Amino acid sequence: MRFGFGSRLRHLRLQQVLAIAAVATAVALPVVLISVGSGVSAHELSSLENAGYQIVVSAAGVHGIADAHNLSERILGLASVTAASPVLSVTIDAFPAGGGSTPVLAEGVVPDEFTPTLGPAEKGLFPDPLPLGDPSDATHFANGTYTGPATDDVLVSSPLADAKGIVNGSKLWLGPTANESGAVEYNVTGTFGVPPTALGPTGVFAIVLPLSNLQVMSGVAAGANASVNDGADTIEVAVSGPAATNQTALEHVRREVQQLVPYYEVSSLDSEAQQLQAASGVLIGFYLALSSVALTVGLLFLALVLVRRVESDRRSIGIRRALGLPRRWIAREIVADGLLLASLGGVLGVVGGYLIVRALATWASADVQLAAQWAIFDPGTLVAIVLGVLALALLASGVATRAALRIEITEALR
Amino acid sequence: MNRPAAPAIELARVSRTYRAGRPEAVPALREVDWTIPAGEFVSVEGPSGCGKTTLLNLIGLLDAPTSGEIRWDGVPVGSRTDRERARLRLEGVGFVFQRFYLLPTLTARENVELPMRAARVPRGERTRRAADLLAEVGLRGKEATFPHQLSGGEEQRVAVARALANRPGLLLADEPTGELDTTNAGAILALLERVRADRDATLVLVTHNPEVARRARRHVTMQDGRISSDVREA
Ligand SMILES: Nc1ncnc2c1ncn2[C@@H]1O[C@H](COP(=O)(O)OP(=O)(O)OP(=O)(O)O)[C@@H](O)[C@H]1O
Ligand SMILES: [Mg+2]
Repeated sequence: MRFGFGSRLRHLRLQQVLAIAAVATAVALPVVLISVGSGVSAHELSSLENAGYQIVVSAAGVHGIADAHNLSERILGLASVTAASPVLSVTIDAFPAGGGSTPVLAEGVVPDEFTPTLGPAEKGLFPDPLPLGDPSDATHFANGTYTGPATDDVLVSSPLADAKGIVNGSKLWLGPTANESGAVEYNVTGTFGVPPTALGPTGVFAIVLPLSNLQVMSGVAAGANASVNDGADTIEVAVSGPAATNQTALEHVRREVQQLVPYYEVSSLDSEAQQLQAASGVLIGFYLALSSVALTVGLLFLALVLVRRVESDRRSIGIRRALGLPRRWIAREIVADGLLLASLGGVLGVVGGYLIVRALATWASADVQLAAQWAIFDPGTLVAIVLGVLALALLASGVATRAALRIEITEALR
Repeated sequence: MNRPAAPAIELARVSRTYRAGRPEAVPALREVDWTIPAGEFVSVEGPSGCGKTTLLNLIGLLDAPTSGEIRWDGVPVGSRTDRERARLRLEGVGFVFQRFYLLPTLTARENVELPMRAARVPRGERTRRAADLLAEVGLRGKEATFPHQLSGGEEQRVAVARALANRPGLLLADEPTGELDTTNAGAILALLERVRADRDATLVLVTHNPEVARRARRHVTMQDGRISSDVREA
């Protein structure tokens, strides 16, 4: 019961050490969840904002966009549009020369349109121009038919190339199913890098080939007995001028595109970014809810320790009340105790959470490492967590103070 | 300092029965009627367990009667709030507890200063007063000593010094010389008497020692929770 901070620290008992540990654990959880969660969201957001295109045409449902080459041409005709790149993404099977097969994510693109829709970070990852033999995809895709000679060129992601021993000039058989008899021989004409992704190896085992080749392979080619004629999943539209920077101008272009393709969904990345932000807000809210459970448990523990302390100090409290010391003196001491334990726990929790994230970034599995590396430690959030803990500690101290002030003096002095 | 003067105390049919933690209720005080005019020096004697400490606790506002009424200057103390009673204890009552009740984590000087701190006595004044009081009870040089390093008699003298710290109008001393040799006991009694006389304070002194009791002007004897005799000297 001495007064002063130093002596309080020196008189820490096992119980108090445990209470500090409980609070620290309770604080470390939100620190880890929120820093990693907001880091991942921010990363996704920045990759969205760093994309080389601003508008996406997509088909709601599974049927895909029909007449993709044609629609892209017409969108390209709009004033401020600099590129309209139809993209078909399908998972197919690759049969490297060494034998065996592996599922790969295939992107069918029109090379000349694809390159301008690459963001500044992605640009360096791809050869320029794309060595796919047919820059406009026109040779194979001739007037809506598939009569011309196919280039059968393919680019392979460097992780896939490394894993399967594929080099520039290798042959690679590609087919829509794991059955090799349906596969076609392609020439590997280059590799491209892939930025780190939290999706794991399936995300980085990728290939890029001319759109028409992939359409033929997946049965959505023009003229064939296709479910979708000249199909694509998205058309990525790059704009220039004011629309590239101004939200209203971008919205104007978006409406123009929408008029050209009334049956498809046309969204600007701007609004997608907003959706992403909203989604990550929900996620963070969920983390906070989870964390508040941890914090509540930690602070119940703190309250328990403070009440135990009051019980073991019954005699001293009784004496002080017998002497007529004001109740707030007794309250102040308990509150000071509670705040000391909570702030020690809070600071330890923040430091501990930080160290946990650092450890994850170093020693966890690849995906987790990556997410941990993106973690953002926002001082404002950390301070808010600690302040929240202190506020709850006040509540815990309040419970203990109440217990202290209910002690009957003559009972305590027996 | 302008401390409240000694209160005139009245007990009207005051009973105190202890119940907590016992199979049967213990009637420690039974319908006691008693008046202590301000400034009186009263001794209370009686066999162990007759209710002396219980009586002091009630007079000193540490406890509330099970039935009956206690009045200070005509005002029933039961009508006051906890906070008001605490303030009256702090500034108006000096209690020398039978078992001293020093705070174990405070030094002798800090124990004496504590009630003064709570009563907002300025630092310089309270340091000086604490030093004077400790000197008067013969503990010069022991100011920085903790209670567990003191003998029983020394602890008792710190308790006396603490009781006098805020210059209360009502002094309640529960066997204040029980642990002391004749010389020290004499000195403590002389101090209490002098303080009482200086300030015209009321002094209620519980003792088993007839020598000590003789110094009072009025002698009360208790028996079984009742006042069995009450003799005022002429
Ligand atoms: N808090 C309590 N709970 C239950 N019984 C109590 C309590 N305090 C005192 N008693 C009982 O009440 C009776 C009177 O106690 P009290 O302490 O007033 O006696 P006393 O006259 O001061 O005795 P002593 O001379 O031994 O100090 C005793 O029988 C005691 O056991
Ligand atoms: Mg007693």
